[in-house]
Amino acid sequence: MARYIIQRLLSSIPVFLAVLTIIFLVVRVLPGDPATAALGDYASKSAVEALRTKMGLDKPLPIQYLDFMLALARGDLGKSMIRGTPIINEVLQVLPYTLELTFAGILIGVLLGIPLGVYAAVKRNQLADYVGRIISLAGLSVPAFYLGILLMLLFAIALQWLPAVGGGEIGDPVDNLTHLVLPALTLGLVMTASVARLARSAMLNVLSQDYVRTARGKGLAETAVILGHALRSALIPIVSLIGIWAISLIGDSVTTEVIFARPGLGKMMVGAILQRDYTALQSIMVIYTGFVVIINLSADLIYGVVDPRIRH
Amino acid sequence: MKHKFILLAILTIVLVGVACTAAPTPAPTAAPPTAAPKPTDAPKPTEAPKPTQAPQPTAAAKPTDAPKPTEAPKPTVAPTQPPAARSGGVLRIAQNATDLNNLDPHYATTTQDRSIVDMVFNALVRYKPGDGSVFEPDLATELPEPKIVGGKQEWTFNLRKGAMCQPTDGVPAYELTSEDVVYSLTKSANKDRSAYAGDYTGMTFEAVNPSTVKITLDNPISKNLFYPRVSNYSGGFIVCKKAAEKLGADKMKTMPVGTGPFMFKSYTAQDKIVLVANDSYFRGKPQLDGVEVRFMADLTSRELGLRGGQLDVINGAPDKAWVDKMKPVQNVQVDVFGVGEVATMYFNLNIPPMDKLPVRQAIAYALSRDEFLAFVGPTIGENVYSVVPAKFLAGGLTEQEAKAKGLDFTTDLAKAKKLLADAGYPNGFNLKLVTSEMTGYKVLYESLQAQLAKIGIKADVQVIDHTSFHNTIRQDANALVVYIAWRPNADAYLTRFLHSDSIIITGKKPDTNFVHYNKIDKLIDQARVELDATKQVDLWKQAQIQVLEDMVAFPIQYQNQVYARAKTVDYGHDLKSVLALYPGVDEKTKFVK
Amino acid sequence: MAWLIHASGIKVEMSMQAPSVKFVSQRRRMWNTFLRNRVAVLGLWLVIAVVLLAIGAPWIAAKDPLIQDPKNRLSAPGIEYLLGQDTFGRDIFARLLYAAHISLVVGLCSVLLGGTLGVTLGLIAGYSGGKIENLIMRLVDVLMAFPSLLLGITVLAVLGSGIEKMILAIGIMLSPAFARVVHGNTLSLKEREFVEAARCIGARQVRILRIHILPNILGDILVLGSLWTASAIRIEANLSFIGLGISPPTPTWGNMIREGSVHLLNAPWLSVFPGLAILVTVLAFNLLGDGLRDVFDPRLQL
Repeated sequence: MARYIIQRLLSSIPVFLAVLTIIFLVVRVLPGDPATAALGDYASKSAVEALRTKMGLDKPLPIQYLDFMLALARGDLGKSMIRGTPIINEVLQVLPYTLELTFAGILIGVLLGIPLGVYAAVKRNQLADYVGRIISLAGLSVPAFYLGILLMLLFAIALQWLPAVGGGEIGDPVDNLTHLVLPALTLGLVMTASVARLARSAMLNVLSQDYVRTARGKGLAETAVILGHALRSALIPIVSLIGIWAISLIGDSVTTEVIFARPGLGKMMVGAILQRDYTALQSIMVIYTGFVVIINLSADLIYGVVDPRIRH
Repeated sequence: MKHKFILLAILTIVLVGVACTAAPTPAPTAAPPTAAPKPTDAPKPTEAPKPTQAPQPTAAAKPTDAPKPTEAPKPTVAPTQPPAARSGGVLRIAQNATDLNNLDPHYATTTQDRSIVDMVFNALVRYKPGDGSVFEPDLATELPEPKIVGGKQEWTFNLRKGAMCQPTDGVPAYELTSEDVVYSLTKSANKDRSAYAGDYTGMTFEAVNPSTVKITLDNPISKNLFYPRVSNYSGGFIVCKKAAEKLGADKMKTMPVGTGPFMFKSYTAQDKIVLVANDSYFRGKPQLDGVEVRFMADLTSRELGLRGGQLDVINGAPDKAWVDKMKPVQNVQVDVFGVGEVATMYFNLNIPPMDKLPVRQAIAYALSRDEFLAFVGPTIGENVYSVVPAKFLAGGLTEQEAKAKGLDFTTDLAKAKKLLADAGYPNGFNLKLVTSEMTGYKVLYESLQAQLAKIGIKADVQVIDHTSFHNTIRQDANALVVYIAWRPNADAYLTRFLHSDSIIITGKKPDTNFVHYNKIDKLIDQARVELDATKQVDLWKQAQIQVLEDMVAFPIQYQNQVYARAKTVDYGHDLKSVLALYPGVDEKTKFVK
Repeated sequence: MAWLIHASGIKVEMSMQAPSVKFVSQRRRMWNTFLRNRVAVLGLWLVIAVVLLAIGAPWIAAKDPLIQDPKNRLSAPGIEYLLGQDTFGRDIFARLLYAAHISLVVGLCSVLLGGTLGVTLGLIAGYSGGKIENLIMRLVDVLMAFPSLLLGITVLAVLGSGIEKMILAIGIMLSPAFARVVHGNTLSLKEREFVEAARCIGARQVRILRIHILPNILGDILVLGSLWTASAIRIEANLSFIGLGISPPTPTWGNMIREGSVHLLNAPWLSVFPGLAILVTVLAFNLLGDGLRDVFDPRLQL
């Protein structure tokens, strides 16, 4: 197993490099440059040109690429081209917000989604199944920013139970948690639908398999069959997807972060690309890709654990 | 089998760990800038210089013009019972932006940057709070009159006493002198250290003595072109020399240090900046404890934050529907105020068939200002008839003046179609345009698209992000460029949009002359050095009549600023016409019950 | 729709592989299974209805979806304008129907594109193992490492906005997820008895993939595909949220919701109707997807 992990980690390095190179090229293909973005429409062309020189944008591309890679090799993530602040500090500031939101979103999704899906599978084609599916699909068909607005209107404006916007102070758990509830619910509800659908499908799949039938044949109680035998196998595809969901939540929570005015990695990435903050985008991607590699790796490992048939 | 369970266990622990660390780990990183400094940061270093508040009376005793009397009572209250003066509270403002760009005042160009810079810095003179049409002294003791010495123009400023530079790490608070002012203006004039260097060419700055600064201009200009350059807008903001040297260019982007009523406390990227009251501010202790400016690019989110009570002031939308919706909301006050940013459509003469005058006239006759205005709302904006808005600036053409010359281009579809047919396009033609994703632009381009369709011109409109948009239109991408902008005077409008030096790509100083126009250079140059205000205005008007006769620019409308606030917020001044496009927050701003 | 096409395509392949009497009866049995599932049939009808509405938009809608009416912005639903008027005074009903067309095309084509790409990669990777697996899955990792919205913004910023570009962007976003799921499933199927048996009797790889593995994972692919059709429609809405949707004045449900969300309190009809349209469509595709899944799952026949 240890050898597998090392192998897997080593094979992530080319992924890293490929992603970084692509990002490096992509941001430079985009029309618009950081100097214009930083100065806005009032500044004159000569001011923009002066700033470009200062930012090092007049250097040839290969040099810029080399600079970037060498800095990375030294472990230096650099400074934001626009704000001049060290990127690692900025990321560390928002990371807790992103982690708590991602984790809470997945937690809500899994805690609501798996029981819903399993129940629907057991009650297949009965009323409960249909109702459950329609409700979960409603969550899936609403864009997150719209769902977020609806939740705010209900809980923050009409009922005044929770704050509408802001991330809360990380040092103050109560403040932080009250600010977390609505965005987490927004992401969680969207996720619930996916999880429930998949859980239902996987469960149906398992329930029809021989060993489950054998277990039933042995006269085991239905609950024991479902929870003891079927659920474990049904978890396999779900587990393999949780990794994917976690990743996509980090990247795609940006609309949720914007609507709730929360700091976060997703918002930071989109902000960097819109501001054409090359160094910031590159460095955030380094960190983000790091997460992706870790999450993928864990998913693969869990996969190996829950499905004993897979051997690497 | 065994180690698989162990692995599973480890992973669970890791996941739980990650979740838990989400709360505790940040403490060391986030806490210092936010929570800890609260009690120590603001008062301590500034408490010491407070005795020097003595100069305040001198500032107040100087009253030379109208606004002073209103200010006089404050300073007298402040020294006697400072604690009672403060009404307290932190004002939470949400601006329409993803983040700040640069808080070095000489690089601050966006509204969110300017609004922050304005609270931290002062200038030699300032626009009267809430009324951009009146100048009053700020760091200077009075508004100077120019003197001509040896063909050069000299302006001499006497500095007020007791304007204290805010402390920053390693630099204690100190009194601002002419050395700082000269340093700051020299920086503004240096194109490697300022975005506004162009405004200061041909100017030299000299510290005559610690409290006197002399500015010499090679070419004399009129008062209304000179004051803006030393005002609290753009390059005129005065930075503190020691702080600027200590911080360096990079740190200045996010750490503003000046002499103003509020000072920097902390900043979170793409989230917010926190300012605290500067208790040794020369106009007196600010009423507020501090100000938070949040960067929130989504309107709905700002609106719900205001309604939910997490925000006190928000940037609204220049849309009557939005204003009407917000008006009845309890505890919310909507402010619509000038100055309005002007939307004008420029024809790019390099892209056929825009090189043909009849085609341009046809388009002008096809467009309806009222239709554009309907999407903004008559209370928010108003039609304009010249590139320079007559409502706000000297040198613009009013509707009557345009009509008198037959240059108002009242909508006439039949005439438009005929002109188009005569030019050889009886069935119209196809056009490719790009627009920014920003609502203000998108609405105008979408309306333009629908209006052009009426005379058979099919416009394919591509939406791109705002940064790309600015870049793309400067590369001859659009045959028609709708541009929304505020410039502080007629000279800036005309020079930057229609002087041949500013022609995109090929001009001497490429800027925003999308037209590639060169027919009014002489008039602009002449007006700039004309010292007689009436003659100057005449020249500007002549230039704009020429522009309309050539129909290279179709002025559409101005859009006022729309902000909403909790009713408890009192800015401390009326919002008549704010040059800077945002409601100013200063030492008098407070919460009322 | 895409899944019908996709599914029938696979059926054809299967018939070529096994042209026997047994297949005919199998097909009949599949069809019967489908018909017995009333909810799936309802899904099919709903999908047909949505498709017909989308195609018939020019004849059903009385108004032009692009004509602006500045004097009557945000008017409430009424007799003349069934679902009211939007921020430009355009007819929401007409826009909703025309948008159905765009949204369906975007939703289906991008899933089809992403699905084809992802399933192929996943199958090959899962079955062949070794270096090829490693290479493909690392490629998938690379794609996956890009947050989808970032990818979307990049594609649209470089290529400009437009329907084809939107499909390309979303298709690329979805493909790695397909690949991963298929890869995982193939891995576990590969070790199953019947696949081993086929290998033992010397069946060719392609044949094993096609006959033994693909049909067994088709159920999951269908469920995911129907699910991600919804995601595709949502991604389009999210890109509209950032401001980079499909070029104006073309309506999509996504940009209608986006524009309407600003007026949720004073003119809810702007965003509620497109929201419902997405819900019904997503529901229809999912019910249909579930039905198809049952049909393709041989173990559920008993």
